[in-house]
Amino acid sequence: MKVLIVGTGISGLSAAVALASRGEDVIMISPFPSERAQSVMAAGGINAVDEESEDSFEAHIGDTLKGGRFIAGKEAVKGLCEAAPSVIRELEQMGTVFARDENGKIRRRAFGGQSFDRTCYSGTSTGKQIVTALRRELRRYESQGKAEIRLGTDFHSALIEDGRCYGILAYDERYASLAPIYADAVIIASGGQNALYGKTTGSTACDGYTAGRLFMQGAVLKNPEFVQFHPTTYVTPQKNMLISEAARGEGGRLFYVKDSKRVYFMEDLFGPKGNLMPRDVVSRSIFNTGEKVFLDVSFLGGKKIRERMLETYELCMKYGGLDITEEPIPVTPSVHFFMGGLAVDNGHMTNIDGLYAAGECASIYHGANRLGGNSMLAAFYGGKVAAGSIIEREEKREAPLFDGFIRDQEKAFNKILSSSGRKPVTDIRSKLAQAMKGSMGIIRNGKDLEDGINVLDGLIGQVREDEFDSSLLPYFTYSTEAIVVLGKAAMTAALARTESRGAHQRSEYKEEKDEFCAATLISYDGGRLSVSYDKEGRYEH
Amino acid sequence: MNIDVRIKRTDPVSGETQWQTFEYDALGKPSVAKILEEINLREQLTDKDGKAARRISWECSCLQGVCGACAMVIDGRPALACETFVDPSAQSEVSIEPLRKFHVVADLVVDRSVIDKTLLESEVYIKDYNESSPDEFAHRYQASKCLKCGLCLEVCPNWTGTGKFAGALFANDCYLVDSADSSTEIRDEFGKHFAAGCSKSLSCMKVCPMKIETIASIAKMNRRKKR
Ligand SMILES: Cc1cc2nc3c(=O)[nH]c(=O)nc-3n(C[C@H](O)[C@H](O)[C@H](O)COP(=O)(O)OP(=O)(O)OC[C@H]3O[C@@H](n4cnc5c(N)ncnc54)[C@H](O)[C@@H]3O)c2cc1C
Ligand code: FES
Repeated sequence: MKVLIVGTGISGLSAAVALASRGEDVIMISPFPSERAQSVMAAGGINAVDEESEDSFEAHIGDTLKGGRFIAGKEAVKGLCEAAPSVIRELEQMGTVFARDENGKIRRRAFGGQSFDRTCYSGTSTGKQIVTALRRELRRYESQGKAEIRLGTDFHSALIEDGRCYGILAYDERYASLAPIYADAVIIASGGQNALYGKTTGSTACDGYTAGRLFMQGAVLKNPEFVQFHPTTYVTPQKNMLISEAARGEGGRLFYVKDSKRVYFMEDLFGPKGNLMPRDVVSRSIFNTGEKVFLDVSFLGGKKIRERMLETYELCMKYGGLDITEEPIPVTPSVHFFMGGLAVDNGHMTNIDGLYAAGECASIYHGANRLGGNSMLAAFYGGKVAAGSIIEREEKREAPLFDGFIRDQEKAFNKILSSSGRKPVTDIRSKLAQAMKGSMGIIRNGKDLEDGINVLDGLIGQVREDEFDSSLLPYFTYSTEAIVVLGKAAMTAALARTESRGAHQRSEYKEEKDEFCAATLISYDGGRLSVSYDKEGRYEH
Repeated sequence: MNIDVRIKRTDPVSGETQWQTFEYDALGKPSVAKILEEINLREQLTDKDGKAARRISWECSCLQGVCGACAMVIDGRPALACETFVDPSAQSEVSIEPLRKFHVVADLVVDRSVIDKTLLESEVYIKDYNESSPDEFAHRYQASKCLKCGLCLEVCPNWTGTGKFAGALFANDCYLVDSADSSTEIRDEFGKHFAAGCSKSLSCMKVCPMKIETIASIAKMNRRKKR
């Protein structure tokens, strides 16, 4: 079989290695090589139960479901947590460098919302260490001719007929042209939806376009209202930089100053482990203080800081001249992770046959709020599960002719290339980000959401009608409408969920409600977005 | 404070190059990435002479110095744009051009695919995993941080992109394989594509954003080769 993978981060690489090692042919596409994927930014670690400790799979499963406020699928989460130790072993055998203790055993650090120290790590560059190993492992199959990476190649749209996906239409940056790539199955591994908010802690390459466009082509989205605000980011003129949860895992304490005294509010609210509550709780608590909040790690001492979180130390020094071994870090919650994305079943298939999704672009395992360290695990494990499902469920097939569809897309694309407009389409993206920040912050309300939806409707009209500067990479222009539509889906789902749960908090409905204890499903239906709740576990269960 | 931003432009279609200057009003000490981003966001893009200009092609991803996308030549020095800061009180102009040893695709975007190609041709992967010694941890950790940004190749007096010599990143990747592999095949590749060609100028180490001690990789590989 020939399998096409969109994206070269951890989930894409994991799927590619799993498929190629079992004899399937893999083509990966991405604008950038793996070294530029957001996965390399992942800092603090990856969760896996230490089977020789008191920790247990039940505890990892329980923490994950509780952290996600009980709307993730129990079976799916069970599979994830039980596979975690073998994921670590596999990564190790690919040469991933994990921190070890004196006896050579992989170290684990404390992370938020976990009942045991469960997060395997390498300094604060765990994602980079994993990507390096995985990328190298893929080379084994490239050299056997089983895998090929096409860079400078971006997803444009899917080739779908009668509910089945036969490949994609790809945009070749070098030749500024569209070309079909047919495949027996497609895995979307395109990462999160950062562009909805302009800049986040993550990569500018994660824009949500692929999910947005597939949504418009009939793929169902799940849980788009659940957006994770990481409690501790350091505001710089460049962007809000993540201060890894590892800083609190190693003992860092949050405080604000009142009457020239430090108030360790998380410990006051939740006891000694208060700093390591799940991220939604910490972000909300910071927001509720109304004060300028700081994170102190300096008391750990320079040696431990440089040993355990060198990259965090360097980051603060480089972008703010701040020496965290001496001074506390001013921190602000900001957008970090998207629990929502393409709805997939436990085998990672979307509602479209032959179309799979894994990693941050898929919505599975994390429910209403993701635990730190579970996302790289989900990306690696999800890629493998998608690969396994494809081998089990799919077969070689003939693609029908897509001539009409391709001609229409080329026509619209050529219009972008020949536009005489002067303003950049990025202006629309800036307005989208402004609207998202206004309506889809830590605390939401119905009025702001309705206003937000109106603004986005206006932007959708504008993108369709206006002409934009064609000297900007055409990708930005053709992708913007679907990104705005994705934002509208998030707002629509947030408006419909009249309760507060995990990362979705409504000022008028402060409690969790039983009737909403299920994942949100949303479909496009020719532009009329319709919301339902997956009470039967049709997707993740 | 105003600063002139001089950019070497390459037209993606004709391949023609020219220098073009933009005026930029800097707040504080912005990074070059921030400057490029803000210039591109302008409603209408015109250069210092008031002439309509193409949007600037450049690459970024992490904006915090860990992905290598934004490697370019700034004021004559190869560096990452997102961690190179401009001080308008100390300079009235900043010049920005693409890496010089790679094919220019457009403006500041270059084709660095030769890096992957070389690693693939030499089959730089672990053939038969063998847990590495704990003594190797620190250096393996550091070497695994290589961004494949190409800065080490840009400054290397011996790397041309067309010859046999594969440069510092190759040496580091060979070490990463060899220190976790019971097969010794990679040592021959290291011999063929690195050992004889390196004149130890070590400019690669000075420019490396991840501060990888390539000299340690070289020494370790040489020692292993003799075993
Ligand atoms: C600063 C930071 C720290 C983090 N720390 C941790 C941590 O400690 N532990 C943890 O578990 N998680 C962490 N995360 C989250 C984790 O990094 C991500 O969720 C995970 O790496 C996502 O992997 P992925 O493979 O889904 O996507 P990515 O790594 O984002 O890869 C997406 C790929 O898709 C490509 N792509 C995008 N759009 C297109 C398109 N249109 N066409 C073709 N290709 C496309 C991209 O170029 C890229 O190759 C962190 C995230 C950030 C931002
Ligand atoms: S954008 Fe990643 S290193 Fe500059």
